Amino acid sequence: MPKVLIIDDSAVMRKIIQRNIQQSGLLVDEFFEAGDGREGLEKVTSNNIDLILCDWNMPNMTGIDFVKAIRGSGQKSNIPIVMVTTEGGEAKIEEAKNSGANGYLTKPFTPDQLKSKLGNFLLVK
Amino acid sequence: MAMEGIMESVALDITSSTKTLFETMIMLDLQPDNAFFEDDTQIKTDVIGMVSFTGKYHGVIALFCSKRFALKMASNMLMTDITDFTHEVKDAVGEVSNMIAGNVKTKLTPQYGEMYLSIPIVIAGEGLSITAVDNHPVVADTTISCFSKDPWLMTPFISNGEKFNVGLLLKESNK
Repeated sequence: MPKVLIIDDSAVMRKIIQRNIQQSGLLVDEFFEAGDGREGLEKVTSNNIDLILCDWNMPNMTGIDFVKAIRGSGQKSNIPIVMVTTEGGEAKIEEAKNSGANGYLTKPFTPDQLKSKLGNFLLVK
Repeated sequence: MAMEGIMESVALDITSSTKTLFETMIMLDLQPDNAFFEDDTQIKTDVIGMVSFTGKYHGVIALFCSKRFALKMASNMLMTDITDFTHEVKDAVGEVSNMIAGNVKTKLTPQYGEMYLSIPIVIAGEGLSITAVDNHPVVADTTISCFSKDPWLMTPFISNGEKFNVGLLLKESNK
């Protein structure tokens, strides 16, 4: 079963995302958390992560810099990444996709919107 | 465009962004009221969650609310009853401010140019009191005041019997 890494500088938002996934029926074996892109890279390096959900605006290393770092990392470069962020608008979504993000969800979101977005990467019970 | 005209349209953007947030992630009814310019340079409140932005226009979007309402928002977001004003509550207020600011920014960008958001900052007054006659401490109705030389565009809301405001300071850059 997949391991999911949630990167967001808000612990509250990480909890909300995890709760929504657990209640949605999407199959996840284990959740990992990181408070910024730099910590996210450490978690990716030391764990077999299958899917990453990543905020954009964070201290130390932004989400977009994290995506670029992962895509240039060789062995771990193919892990799917979904941006979950308050940054909306076509230009931002385009920038994220051009940098290597596989999906994009704007906060605030409903549980159904999150499930729909992650359904491309996770199986449902 | 005159700043007054900008502000009218921005107030509508603030209202719709805040309503969407409360409907999707906070699950509280929300009644917006008419926006106004706050003439008082000292805004008294318990909690401020603020996000600043830079770009062709720069400024601050801030949530002003009571501690009681901050607890209610955090409790609803986390689906648990929170009674103490913990770090988690401040985190929740920061996220609420962040989501309002992000959505307002997205609505403004096509007309006013790209803006770059800061990380949210939350300020809360804790354990403050004023001393009245005979040295009896009296807890103030509100615990902090926010000073600004420019008037805030305030968009007031009522939710769960509590009033709160979303304020905006907006200025064209290089002027």
